[in-house]
Amino acid sequence: MRYIQFTQPSYRGPSAYRFGGRAAGFDNEIDWLFGTTLTGLAGGNRGQFPVELYEDKQNTYVRAELPGVNRDAVNVEYADGSLSIRASRKAKTAEGEKDVALSREVSIPDEVQADKVTAAYENGVLTVTLPRREETKAKKINVSVN
Amino acid sequence: MSFLNTLIPTRNGSSEGASATESRRPHYEVSETEGSYDLTVYLPGVAKEGLEITDEAGELTIIGKRNTRLPEGSTLLHREVSDAGFKLVVTHDETVDAEKIVAELRDGVLQLKLAKAESAKPRKVVVA
Repeated sequence: MRYIQFTQPSYRGPSAYRFGGRAAGFDNEIDWLFGTTLTGLAGGNRGQFPVELYEDKQNTYVRAELPGVNRDAVNVEYADGSLSIRASRKAKTAEGEKDVALSREVSIPDEVQADKVTAAYENGVLTVTLPRREETKAKKINVSVN
Repeated sequence: MSFLNTLIPTRNGSSEGASATESRRPHYEVSETEGSYDLTVYLPGVAKEGLEITDEAGELTIIGKRNTRLPEGSTLLHREVSDAGFKLVVTHDETVDAEKIVAELRDGVLQLKLAKAESAKPRKVVVA
């Protein structure tokens, strides 16, 4: 049985600790209460973006909302059970265009075949596929009872 | 909690357990140029087929259906946004020429150009 988090976009509660390593401090509580977290796409909230984590029998998937980022500048790295996603977006300001850096770290609960991680970007959503290592896939073992 | 829900503005206007019919307001930016108003709407997960733009009686409505349902046989572990689609209603006056609205969707970002009506553009008056 897994504990499923549904946080209406905030980094509150245990997930704040688990994803990104930020402690769920009082500021976060206030942000959550007034819905101020993530409202500023351009530079607000330290360039974070919402993510979603799901799995099937073979893979673990991370889906990130990254509308309008430069495809070539999307950087996905996996190391030591942690997935790092970095991207940048051009934002219009009063002085003209400027680059806004976005980044997020996500802890992956399962063992991953690091060399087989793939990513796809479609309609502003980045989907990272992380194949699980053989030994962590569920194995069916027949045990004979005498 | 109903009292709190009315008191505290939620970002999406919806609480937990959002059904498919509910929607959230996307992040958007408006800027003005000499000949038009430019609207940038962030719609991650919305494809061209799921986008509906209508302009009626000074109300520009943008509805984006998200194609982000989980694949069959997968289990959700963590989620920060709902599957609900986007809905944005922007009102404008008669200075926008509804016939000349140009829209472009790319990588989940919708760019709308609302051309100003001729009557709204500055006009130089020549003194005879």
